[in-house]
Amino acid sequence: MENTIKVERAILNITQNDLAEKIGVSRQTINSIEANRYVPSTVLALKLSEVFGKPVNSFFKLSDSDYE
Amino acid sequence: MNTEKLIDCERSHLLKITKFRLPHQFIVVGVVVAAISIIMMFVRASVMDGDTEWLKLLLQKTLLIGMLLMSVSKDKIEDEMTVSLRAQSYTVAFIVGVVYALVMPYVEFGVSNVVHSGGEVYKDLGDFQVLLFMLMIQLMFYHTLKRYR
Repeated sequence: MENTIKVERAILNITQNDLAEKIGVSRQTINSIEANRYVPSTVLALKLSEVFGKPVNSFFKLSDSDYE
Repeated sequence: MNTEKLIDCERSHLLKITKFRLPHQFIVVGVVVAAISIIMMFVRASVMDGDTEWLKLLLQKTLLIGMLLMSVSKDKIEDEMTVSLRAQSYTVAFIVGVVYALVMPYVEFGVSNVVHSGGEVYKDLGDFQVLLFMLMIQLMFYHTLKRYR
């Protein structure tokens, strides 16, 4: 799974901390999601979608390894 | 109550049990209880005379309780990632604990016989040793995973 959360965050001009507070997780969790080390749950993905005002699949994309 | 409602009721009870965590403040209580137990263990071993076997057993229990409190306390910011990391650490601790309980008696037996011929006789591990090891692995693994997340 790949994502463009860092880009979306830059568009909104918010820090990892701000985003973490908005969706009720720790800053480290946002960092791990951005670095593709952690795949969030559907609930968290939908919360991100609400913050960014975009559908989930516009900032989360399946990568080749997800089909293996 | 029909069967489906009973199943739902069972499921919600199970979920409550699996999601059970103590508030974050309990980690401090756990650290204090574990630290006092360890200090008292040293005091008992080096200073106290007479029959203090009961104290040794009591301190073993309080050390386990302290570590259990540390283990089941929530983080300052508890989110789905910390829940996932905690679950991973419990899995690892369980597997490593079982392997430890199976292998360690043979290691102790082998080493004691190599070091001095006719060393100790074979004996299984005690519950305290296994539980302490599992709790240590869980806590260490959880905090290591959290550091590298």
